[in-house]
Amino acid sequence: MPVDSRRLQGPESAFSYTLLKKKDANAEESVLSADLQKMLIGSNQVRKDKRKPTDARPLFLRTGIISQAKGSAYIEQGNTKLVCGVYGPREVQKKSDFRLNGQLFCEFKFAPFSCQKRRSHQQDNEELVLSGLLREALEAAVCLHHFPKAQVEVNIMVIENDGSPLAAALTCASLALASASIPMYDLVIGTAVRQLPKLLLLDPTKEEEWQPKLNHDENNSNLTVGFMPSMQQICAYVHEGVSNPEELEQMLKLVTEYCLKVQPVVQLCLKETIEKMLANEGENKDAE
Amino acid sequence: MAEILLSEAEKAFIHHGVQDDLRCDGRTRLDYRPIILETGLVSNASGSSRLRLANSDVLVGVKVELASPLSEKPLEGRLEFFVDCSANATPEFEGRGGEDLANEICRFLQMSYMSGDTINLAELSVLTGQQCWVLYVDILILECGGNLYDTVSLAVKSALYTTQIPSIKVATMDGDQPELELSEDPYDTKRLNTQNVPCLVTLMKIGNHYLVDPTPEEECCSSSGVVVAVSGTKKITAVRKIGSGSLHPESLVSMLKTASEVGTVVNKILMTKLLEEERAGKTQKVGFMR
Repeated sequence: MPVDSRRLQGPESAFSYTLLKKKDANAEESVLSADLQKMLIGSNQVRKDKRKPTDARPLFLRTGIISQAKGSAYIEQGNTKLVCGVYGPREVQKKSDFRLNGQLFCEFKFAPFSCQKRRSHQQDNEELVLSGLLREALEAAVCLHHFPKAQVEVNIMVIENDGSPLAAALTCASLALASASIPMYDLVIGTAVRQLPKLLLLDPTKEEEWQPKLNHDENNSNLTVGFMPSMQQICAYVHEGVSNPEELEQMLKLVTEYCLKVQPVVQLCLKETIEKMLANEGENKDAE
Repeated sequence: MAEILLSEAEKAFIHHGVQDDLRCDGRTRLDYRPIILETGLVSNASGSSRLRLANSDVLVGVKVELASPLSEKPLEGRLEFFVDCSANATPEFEGRGGEDLANEICRFLQMSYMSGDTINLAELSVLTGQQCWVLYVDILILECGGNLYDTVSLAVKSALYTTQIPSIKVATMDGDQPELELSEDPYDTKRLNTQNVPCLVTLMKIGNHYLVDPTPEEECCSSSGVVVAVSGTKKITAVRKIGSGSLHPESLVSMLKTASEVGTVVNKILMTKLLEEERAGKTQKVGFMR
């Protein structure tokens, strides 16, 4: 395993101070409904951030935030913030990896301060797996045969993680790829949903996401889906928890409906990007 | 998996076979290849198993050790998985080539075992907040013949089934050091309840149909599939889409339903066989000689 020799490692016994916090009285209850009660408040069943169970957080998208990158995008979904930079197509770094189709290299990284518990500076196993998932999802959307023997790099940096980072990364990465003029079949829209015993919560925050608890996981799960709305194809599907196939079907339906609703928002952002690019080009031509 | 080069004609042949529910080796789409399983091979491990699914060979060793529990989970023990893709398995695994795949399998296993319904980690606690059993599950991939996820999960389940955890007679705190006393009888051990431990089922999509237990050639023909972790109670504990292709929502839903049924059957048969082996007693171990 590569060891980071350039930075001073903290003492081994360092741990997060949140473990010393007094446990909430509700957390001691071992009844499933305690979870539900924690999530929903009020008689009209709203979530802690005043959303309905099938409401997603407001979405903010912007492209062109990294000036040096071929394409870049920034997404904010509630408090989850991430940046994506796309470089390429350029020559494959390792000559031995020559392939007739183009290659996609994805790097998914959490900033050390992004989560409640400090992350290491180097990619840990979870980030490596998320990078692989992102790559497989984007490979389904990108026209790899358009840039043979070349590679495209997609770098995701999560600035703040407040739930569903993979979903936001999928949307952000496909927006960045499109703004980098990489030929694609369709945009990928990512969505996450949390399953509770009798309820589905769309776009969960970190608090609402499922964490395994002893003996109380029946019908609780997290699902992240990457969906291509125009082609009606799923390019990423990650589920963890305990569910029935029928419940999974319901969750998938909710997710695909939401992705279709978000598609025009992402397309609008791209349209504005192109209009800005054309306006800039127009100005440059006038200046010459 | 190993670099399989298939011509277009061979790919078309496999496609047509799958359409007619007749694969290259004569199986139907939902048939598994022959499985050879043996447990208790490694004397130094608390539990071990070797599973051979046609050409895929996996050896799993479980070692139990005492350690302090995680600060967030003082009442539970834990399971740590480590997958090692040996360079013997396929030339691609030479050096660090197998690391990515090993990491993926390891992480997916962790995800599928995360839920409390699969394995009761509270049984592994010795002294609340101070000492617990940690089960180090080390998986060695000896040969790669397609469908690694399934092979690994069945081998891990068998190894956990036969794992013997020593009984602790006395467990107290001496100042701030835990003091433990093992029982004198080396055969006084306890076993975990592995009834709900999940089995992974890989389904690859070829054309309009999906296959269970793909061979390397079939994996090469397919662009996408799902790996589903099915626990003993017909529940799905983890799902991941694999491959660079995409799936239609309807196909995905029907794949999940099939996986859940297939997984339940596989689980039941595995438990039956493990019970049979246990009842047969300490007969001559065949090991690797066969």
